[in-house]
Amino acid sequence: MITLNINKKNYSIDADPNMPLLWAIRDLVGLTGIKYGCGVAQCGACVVHLDGEAVRSCVTKVKRAEGKKVVTIEGLSKNNDHPLQLAWSEVSVPQCGYCHSGQIMSAAVLLRENPNPTDEDIDDAMAGNICRCGTYQRIRKAIHVAAEMKGKGSDKG
Amino acid sequence: MKQFSKITSKHFLPFKAVMVVVPLLIVIGFTISGFKEKNGAGNKNTDDVTADSTTSAEAFLKVYKVLMSPRCMNCHPNGDRPLQGDDNHIHTMNVQRGKDGKGLYALKCSNCHQPENAEANHAPPGNPKWQLPAANMKMVFQGRSAHELALQIMDYNKNGHKNKAQLIEHARDTLVKAGWNMGEGRNPPPLEYKEFVSAWDTWINNGGYAPAKE
Amino acid sequence: MTHVSRRSFIKNVGGTGIALWIGMSSKGVFAKTGRNIIVKNFSPFILVESNGNITIFNIKPEMGQGTYQSVPALIAEEFEVGLDQVMVKLTNGEKEFGDGQSAGGSSSIRSNYKKFRELGASAKAVFLQAAANKWKVDINTCYAERGKVYHQPTKKSLGYAELVEAASSLELPKEPKLKDPKDFKIIGKPLPRADIPLKTNGAAEFGIDMKVPGMLYASIERCAVLGGTLKSFDATEALKVPGVKKVVKTERIMGLYKSVGVAVIANSYWSALQGRKKLKIEWDTNGFENFNSEEYDQHLRDMAKEDGIVDKNIGSVDTLNISPANTVDAFYETPMVAHNALEPMNCIAQVKGDAVEIWTSTQVPGRLIADGKGSFASIIGFAPEKLKMHNTFVGGGFGRRLYFDYIVETVNIAKQINAPVKLLWTREDTTEQGPFRPMTFSQLKAGFSDDGKLISFQHKVISPSLSEMSGRPNFDKTKVDGTMVEGIGEQAYEIPNLKTSYIRTDFHVPLAAWRSVTSSTLAFAHECFIDELAYKAKKDPMDFRLSLLTKDSDLRRVLLKLKDFSSWDKPLAQGKGRGVAQWEFFAGLAAHVVEVTYNADKTIKVDKVYVVIDLGKVVNPDTVKAQVEGAVVMALGAATKMPITIKDGKVQQHNFYNDQLLRITEMPEVEVMILTDGEKIKGVGEPGLPPFAPALANAIFAATGKRIRKMPFDLQIG
Repeated sequence: MITLNINKKNYSIDADPNMPLLWAIRDLVGLTGIKYGCGVAQCGACVVHLDGEAVRSCVTKVKRAEGKKVVTIEGLSKNNDHPLQLAWSEVSVPQCGYCHSGQIMSAAVLLRENPNPTDEDIDDAMAGNICRCGTYQRIRKAIHVAAEMKGKGSDKG
Repeated sequence: MKQFSKITSKHFLPFKAVMVVVPLLIVIGFTISGFKEKNGAGNKNTDDVTADSTTSAEAFLKVYKVLMSPRCMNCHPNGDRPLQGDDNHIHTMNVQRGKDGKGLYALKCSNCHQPENAEANHAPPGNPKWQLPAANMKMVFQGRSAHELALQIMDYNKNGHKNKAQLIEHARDTLVKAGWNMGEGRNPPPLEYKEFVSAWDTWINNGGYAPAKE
Repeated sequence: MTHVSRRSFIKNVGGTGIALWIGMSSKGVFAKTGRNIIVKNFSPFILVESNGNITIFNIKPEMGQGTYQSVPALIAEEFEVGLDQVMVKLTNGEKEFGDGQSAGGSSSIRSNYKKFRELGASAKAVFLQAAANKWKVDINTCYAERGKVYHQPTKKSLGYAELVEAASSLELPKEPKLKDPKDFKIIGKPLPRADIPLKTNGAAEFGIDMKVPGMLYASIERCAVLGGTLKSFDATEALKVPGVKKVVKTERIMGLYKSVGVAVIANSYWSALQGRKKLKIEWDTNGFENFNSEEYDQHLRDMAKEDGIVDKNIGSVDTLNISPANTVDAFYETPMVAHNALEPMNCIAQVKGDAVEIWTSTQVPGRLIADGKGSFASIIGFAPEKLKMHNTFVGGGFGRRLYFDYIVETVNIAKQINAPVKLLWTREDTTEQGPFRPMTFSQLKAGFSDDGKLISFQHKVISPSLSEMSGRPNFDKTKVDGTMVEGIGEQAYEIPNLKTSYIRTDFHVPLAAWRSVTSSTLAFAHECFIDELAYKAKKDPMDFRLSLLTKDSDLRRVLLKLKDFSSWDKPLAQGKGRGVAQWEFFAGLAAHVVEVTYNADKTIKVDKVYVVIDLGKVVNPDTVKAQVEGAVVMALGAATKMPITIKDGKVQQHNFYNDQLLRITEMPEVEVMILTDGEKIKGVGEPGLPPFAPALANAIFAATGKRIRKMPFDLQIG
C-alpha cells in the first residue's frame, strides 16, 4: 500500500510503485479533473502540483509522490475561486475544456512565482501545455486578468 | 582534427588572446598554481612541451567527442534554451534555463525529467540532478572548439569553481553518467563511459592541456 | 454535471406535481403532460414542472463549439426564461430525440435557428394564454419575463410553475409570433457559458472520466502496418502480468477499413498497458508493408495527367483559344493530417444478454441509435432498442468523433467479458491508426483574354475518396465524389468559363472528415492560385478578387468589410507582407487577411490575422470569436507542422513530439468581425479554417516573393 496526500487528504492505494501518478489519481483515487493526453510529458493535460511544482503526472511514478503534497485541479481552491479560475470564466477561455485543468495548474505556478507576468513570462511558463482547440490568445489574456485580480487583493491563490 | 605534436606555447595562449586576457591572468595564474599544489593540473603558459602535455591534449580530444555529443551538449547550449535530440534542435516547449539552471515556472526540468528514466517510449530521460548550468556559470559547450573547451573546463572561474579533485570527481557524477543511459531511442556518446573516464583522468592528471587551436 | 439518462429522468419527475413537456412532433410543436410521455414521433425539448423546475433538452453534444449554451439559448430567448433559470440536459441518443442528435457540419445553429425559437415561442404562448384566462384579461396586455407572466396594467404576475396545469390544457400555436430581434435578451449577447466553470475545476466529465461499478480496462495492440491482419497471438506472458484478466480479439470497423486487434483486459488501465507490452503477435501485412506515402504522392502527381470525372463545366473551357502567354498553370499539394483531439478515443461498454449499454464522448449520439443497413446497431449486432447510451462532454471532436470505430471495438470486447469494460486508446494509437484527413493534390489552370480579363479557370482534384473510404453507402466510383471537390465549383468569382473535375485514386488508409473537411486543403490551392492570377494580372490581390465580384454577393460584402477591417490599403513596413483569402462552402463563409514579418534570420512571424465571418445570425458572438481563433490555430498547425506520413506501411508519427501541435508561443493575434447583415444563416465551427493557410501563403509571397504550393510549408524562407 502506498499513501498519497492529495488535496490535504490521505489516500491509501494498492498501486505498483512504478504506476504513473496520473493513473493512480484518476483510476484508483477517483479524481478525474486531470487528464491523459499523451503519456510522455508533451501536452500538460495531467499537470498536478507536487510540493508546489507543476509536475506531469503521466511520467511521474507514484513512488515519487510518497510523502509529498499533491494538489490537483480539484484542490486548487475550495469554491472554484482561485483568481485563475475566475479569470478563466471571465475571459471564457475553455472550448472543449479537456486541457484546462492542466493549463490552470501550470499558470498557478507562474503566478505564484511571478505575480505580474509579462507576455514573455507567460510564454516561458505555458508553452508546455497544448490546447488543441486553440484557446491560447485567451489563456494569455486570462493570466493577465488573474494577475490583476490578485494584485487587487483577492485573498486567494 | 589537427595533430598537436608540435605544440608551442602560442597554441595554448595565442598572442592576441594573451593581450585580451591580461586582466584575467592573475586569476588564472592563481587557479593554475592551486592545481599545481595538488599535483600539477592546469594549462601552463610555458614553452616546455612535455610528453605529458601531448598525452593530456590527446586525451582531451577523446573527451571532446563526448562533450560535443548530444547527450552532453544538449544541456550545455550557447543560448538560454536547452537542446534536444541527436540533431541538437532547440528544446520544444520554449524551455528556459532559469537563474539556477533548473527551468522556469511550470517548465522546470524536474517537472518532466524524473529521477529515473520513464518506461514509455520517447518519454523524457531522467536523473535526480537534471538541469542546465546556472545562468551565472553557463559552461557552454555548443560551438566551442576543443581548444576553447579545454581552456574553459580548466578555468576555475568558468568550470563551476571546480578544482582538480572536483573535476576528476565530476566525471563520476550521476548526471554525467546518465549520458550513457538515456533510454530507448537516444544514442549514447561515441565513447564507452569507461573510456571517457579514463580519457578524462588522463587529460587532467597529465596537466589539463588544451589541444592546439585549429 | 450529471448526465441523467432520459428514461431515469422521466421516472424521477415528481410523483405529485404536474409535468408539462413541450416539443416537436411530426405535426409541429406539441405538448404532453404526465409522467409517461413516450409518444411516437415526439421530441420533448422543454419540461416545466409545477415545482418550478424548467429543463431544456439539448440535442447537440458539446465539444467546445458552445452548443451547450447556444442551442438552449434559442429556446430560452423565446420562452422568456433566463439561461440561469433552466437546467440544460444533454440528450443521450434517445430514440425520441432522433438523428438531430449530432454535432457536425457547423450545422447546430444554422439548421435549428428558426425551429427552436418557434418551439420556445409556442411554449410561451400557452403560458401567456393560461395567465390571461386566469385573470380574465386580454392576452395582449400580458407579457412574459424570466419565467413569469405579467399583467401590464396591474403588474400582477404568475410564475410558469403556477400555470403548468392551466397551460397544459391549451393548444400550442402552430405559427407562434417570434420576438423582434431588437428585444433579444440572450441571442446576440456574449453571455457566459454554463459549461465554463465546470471546465475550470475539473468537474466537467468527459467520456474518459466515466466510471461504472465493476469496470475493467482495456488496451488494444493493432497492426502497425495499416491494412495488416492478425495471424496469431500468444498471450501467455501478458496473462502473467498482475491484474490482467483476459486477452481477446476485437474488430475495428472504420468505414472501409477493417482490422482485428488484440485487447488486453485488466483491472487497471496501467496493468492493461503492461500486459499489452508482453503480447506476442504475428501479423500478416499483406503487401502493405511496401506502402510509402512519398511514392503515393508521386502516384497522385502521375495521375494528374488523366482527365478525371467532370464536376462542373460552365461555358467552354475546353474549346477556348487562349495564348500560352495568357495562361497560368500550377500544381498544389497537401498532406494527410491527424485530428489530435486531446481526449484520446475511449468508450465504456457493458453487454448484458441481448442488450448493450455504452458510455462515450461522441459527436453523433443520434447516429448510434439509428436503424437499418450499415447502422451502428447492425454492425455490433444488437437491436437498436436494446442499445442504451450515455453521452458526455467531448474532449475535442474536429470530425474524428463522427465515427464510431472505437465504440464498435469496445462493444466487441465487452461481448467477451462479463463486466463493463473501458477501452482507452493511447496517444500513439490515436496518431498511428487514423483516420486522417485525406491529402488532395490540385492541378490548376487559368486563362486571361488579351485585354487582361480572367476568362477561364480549371481546378482538377486528385485524391483518394473520403466518401468511399469512410464507407458511404451506395458509393459509386464512376461518379464525382462531391466531398472531394467541395466548394471549388461554387466560389462567387465571376469567371465565364469554369471547369472542375476529380480523379479518384485507390487507397487503403482510414480517412475521415477533418474540421472543414476537404475545404481545409482545396481552399489552399484555389485561393493561392487566385493570388498567382492577381500577380499575373498585375493587380492588388484584394482588388483582383473584387474585380471578379461585380454583382452583389455575400463574398463581395465580406471582402469589402475585410478590406476596411484589415486596413488593407495602409502600407506595411519594410519586410512585412499581407495576404488575403476567402472560402465559401457548405458550412459557411469567411475571409482572412494575414500579416507577416520576414525577419532578418529568414523566419516568418505571423503577426496578425483579421477574419470576417458571415453568419446572418449570431447567438453568442464571443463563442463565434473563440471558434474562429481556434480554427486559425488548427489551420496554422496543419499548414506548417509535420503531417502524417507513411513509410513501410507504418505511420511515422507517434505522439506530439513528432506530430506537433501549435503552442502558445506561436499564437498569432486574431481579430474577428462578425457580419449579421446577410440573408442566409451560416455556420461557425468550420468556416474560420479554410482561408487561413492560403492567406498565410499569400502573405509570405508578398513579403518574400516566394510562392508556396505545398503544405506543410516551413516558416523559414530561403
